Amino acid sequence: MSYRKLFYVLNFLLLGVFVWAVVKDNDAEWKTYQRTYYEKMATYLDAQAGQQKDPAQAAKLRAQADEYRRHPLAIKQIITDGLGRYDRCITCHVGMDEYENPGMTTPFKTQPYAGHPDIAGLVKAHPFEKFGCTVCHEGQGLATTVADAHGWVTNWDRPMLTGVHIQGSCVKCHGDFRTLKGAEAAAKGYDLFHQHGCLGCHSIDGVGGTISVDLGDIADKPIPRIAPYNFLRVTIDGKHLEEKDWKIQNWILGHLVDDPEYVTPNDPFAEDNAEPIAPSPMPDFSKELTRDQADDIVAYLMGMTKVEEDEIPYRYHVAAPPEKEPRFASAKAHGKYVFEKYGCAGCHGVDAVAGRRRFNALGPGQKDYDPKMTKAELFAEMEKGREPTLPDLMSGYDHDELVAKIEQGVPPTAAKKWDPNGPLPVVYMPAWKGKISKKELDDLATWLLSTAKQQNLGF
Amino acid sequence: MPTLDIDKIKQEVVDSQIWRAVFRGGVWSDTPRDRQAHISGNVWLHLHPAKVRPRALKWTYTWGLGGLSFALFLLLALSGVLLMFYYRPVPGLAFRDIKDLTYAVSMGRFLRNLHRWAAQAMVVAVIAHMVRVFLTGAYKRPREFNWSVGVLLLTLTLFLSFTGYLLPWDQLAFWAVTVGTNMAGATPLLGNSGPFSGLLGMHVNNDLRFVMLGGTSVGANTLLRFYVLHTIAVPLLVGILLILHFWRVRKDSFSAAPYQANEAKVDVWPNLVKREYIAAVALVIFIMFWAITKSAPLETIADPNVTMNPEKAPWYFAGLQEMLVYFDPWLAGVLVPNLIIVGLMAVPFIDTNPKGVGYYAWKERPFAITMFLLGVVMWFSLMAMGVFFRGPNYAWYWPWESWWTFKAAPPPTWNVFGPHGQAVLPLALGVPVLGGLFLAAMLLPKLIQRDLNGWKVLGGVLLATAALGAVGAGMGKFTGTQVGFLLFFAGMTTWFGFVMPQRHIRRLDWARYLVTMALVVSTMGILLKMGARLCFNIKYVMTVPVVSMNI
Repeated sequence: MSYRKLFYVLNFLLLGVFVWAVVKDNDAEWKTYQRTYYEKMATYLDAQAGQQKDPAQAAKLRAQADEYRRHPLAIKQIITDGLGRYDRCITCHVGMDEYENPGMTTPFKTQPYAGHPDIAGLVKAHPFEKFGCTVCHEGQGLATTVADAHGWVTNWDRPMLTGVHIQGSCVKCHGDFRTLKGAEAAAKGYDLFHQHGCLGCHSIDGVGGTISVDLGDIADKPIPRIAPYNFLRVTIDGKHLEEKDWKIQNWILGHLVDDPEYVTPNDPFAEDNAEPIAPSPMPDFSKELTRDQADDIVAYLMGMTKVEEDEIPYRYHVAAPPEKEPRFASAKAHGKYVFEKYGCAGCHGVDAVAGRRRFNALGPGQKDYDPKMTKAELFAEMEKGREPTLPDLMSGYDHDELVAKIEQGVPPTAAKKWDPNGPLPVVYMPAWKGKISKKELDDLATWLLSTAKQQNLGF
Repeated sequence: MPTLDIDKIKQEVVDSQIWRAVFRGGVWSDTPRDRQAHISGNVWLHLHPAKVRPRALKWTYTWGLGGLSFALFLLLALSGVLLMFYYRPVPGLAFRDIKDLTYAVSMGRFLRNLHRWAAQAMVVAVIAHMVRVFLTGAYKRPREFNWSVGVLLLTLTLFLSFTGYLLPWDQLAFWAVTVGTNMAGATPLLGNSGPFSGLLGMHVNNDLRFVMLGGTSVGANTLLRFYVLHTIAVPLLVGILLILHFWRVRKDSFSAAPYQANEAKVDVWPNLVKREYIAAVALVIFIMFWAITKSAPLETIADPNVTMNPEKAPWYFAGLQEMLVYFDPWLAGVLVPNLIIVGLMAVPFIDTNPKGVGYYAWKERPFAITMFLLGVVMWFSLMAMGVFFRGPNYAWYWPWESWWTFKAAPPPTWNVFGPHGQAVLPLALGVPVLGGLFLAAMLLPKLIQRDLNGWKVLGGVLLATAALGAVGAGMGKFTGTQVGFLLFFAGMTTWFGFVMPQRHIRRLDWARYLVTMALVVSTMGILLKMGARLCFNIKYVMTVPVVSMNI
């Protein structure tokens, strides 16, 4: 090819590539949605005009429809000064733009064309110009493509909250969320969290057990801190997660609807490490909790954020009146409440009926340790290790002995291993002295002794 | 009816006072005089000579790499200025501005992609330009100084790319720059963790790294500093050096291609200018295509509390990072890169071979070209190892292995000479032994002043190594892989570190010989240390903890 021909070909190619770049940039995803919204509105208004008896009214509606058809397309955003957020969600969800659509209801049922639910209550209490979108819904407010904006993509740690999980956002500001209308799931999650003894191992803002991590900022947990190896094992509704769904809400949910021992198997046979490491000691709640209950707990925990709490100015927060300790008619009833309050159920089971799993501890029904067993057999036996089932033991204690036992606890080193080469059992009985008041301790002991199984006397 | 006389109109336009004020010269009639005036009368074009020898125009001689590097520089300056309209170098805003560019600014995403990919292409183009100039011997007298300027320009290109890497303020940027700047903290004397840093009273808050970062860790000051360096200081310096570089090219008869008797020169306009234009346009089309189809990476916002695993430097520094596996940072991150820069600048002064100027001549310059290509291959191999073969915890992952599988911890390492810990032999022995080996490697090739049969030497060394390997394997000390590695590294160092210098440069004068051998022995040292680490898990050959110097 001669240089002259090449000159022309390349120049046209250059122009072509440049035009391609412009066309591609112009062909933004959000434009389709905005245009469709305006077209749907126009069609709807035309239909309304067709049914209108009064010709003046009909003409007015038709004029409005024409205006929608001619509407220029633009990126719209809510700038919330107080929160410092720039939310471009209304670029596609035009029906929720107060200036475009003051009533904020639309005749359409599907997103992104539908309006916002509960305008009279929720939206009135949280005007969009003050709150924007992402402070409640999460997601990526600056983005203008469907995947990126909803945040279910890699490289965005706070994707849009779905289903009841959004009630976690109520918890961020509302100290009184347990009595708040609309935050029922989060409130239920709070109750379940306490009933099932989560607090025994996990503290919230320093209140609770110290065996595992504090959950007061669990919603801020950076995804890179969670090993992909573990995320690969999370199973929700029988399905493994795609990489784009490796988000904190799924991590928590995966621990509630799935056996954490499977999610975090660690290294019980010291294959990759110098010392054996027991699997996650978190009990398997998948049998205890329904899927809905698990979601309720996730909803509550998604409100456990320090990053956002600090970002949100204090005037957005609603303080709760201080909670009063409930009063009880009998010492036994109070004792049962104390058992729940301090998360004893986390190890000893709900209502102390059965001790939970304690990997490589001694437990009922275990075979004798035999070094010739295969790994699978060893694992199965180690899994049978159990925390004490309290009613079986109570006959061996009198009141003072039991109080002393609870006050002193059992140090982790005192654990008896089933497999002497296996990992040390992780959970242990903390010393409660100074953490529980004398009255609470007395009533707890009274209740526990009342659960004793008499037939075990003599063993 | 009046006829439209194009020629007359053209004449009148060209003769008008406005045209004459802007463009000198008469109507274009494509005479040699016109063409020369077109070059010499234009401030931009007159960096070219008016005429050039046809050999300088051959595509297969220059590949247009210098011109392409400059075209990329211009493209980067243009797209960079446009990006500056939208970017604020403040931690809270920088990341948001990049998001705005991606999602809201018209053509913003395209612009950022263009800038990013052009920057990477420029690094490649400048390195390729250097390789081409070396292979055609175009750095030899009288062009030594221009080669040195070119080496500086290469360094500044890398530095420009590196300073720009931080600006998006995402995790990728933050940690890549953390890796890069931590090496500065290991500079001997001037960095807080480098050898002899105590002598000058260096701490984390007054050393070289502190100057680069404007703090003790990457933060707001670093972002501002890197921004100013990236957008003003370094481009200015590059501009100054570019002018010098071009001026020298022009003064040194434009091309090193050798003269031929009665060679007729051709006009630069249009013969050279059209080639330059076509190469530049083809390149811009390629970069634009790339920018349209592939987006620049953007991870989550920078967070000093969340370390990414693995943490990798930008690809062009991945070789240095890979070297951190084998060497302490003061060696891998400071000494080696400086040695490469200084060594490259020294090349025209130690290469006394008058042959091979202006054409590809492996046979006439076997030593220079072999050694240079060995360096280039090592550099890119290390880079490939760092980029493609390293996964979480910087463990070795084959490209077909998932990063999500566990890798067992690497075997423990040990030191050969040193005072404490796992060391086997005392330091007092290490200094004379290593010093002796170094001196032998430096001097032997010149001291043996007769022709050796290189293949026999290589064969002897390989046989001895194989025998040693066989004995070791027999005793159960070595595995087959270790013996293989051992043979490879012994063979490489024997051939390139002894046979080649003994054959080709033993007749050099002592000064040039010693400088050349210092570079050769350093390169072999890197190879040997890699072998020692890979075969025998040796962490340090010698460790002197008291001055934090480990080799």
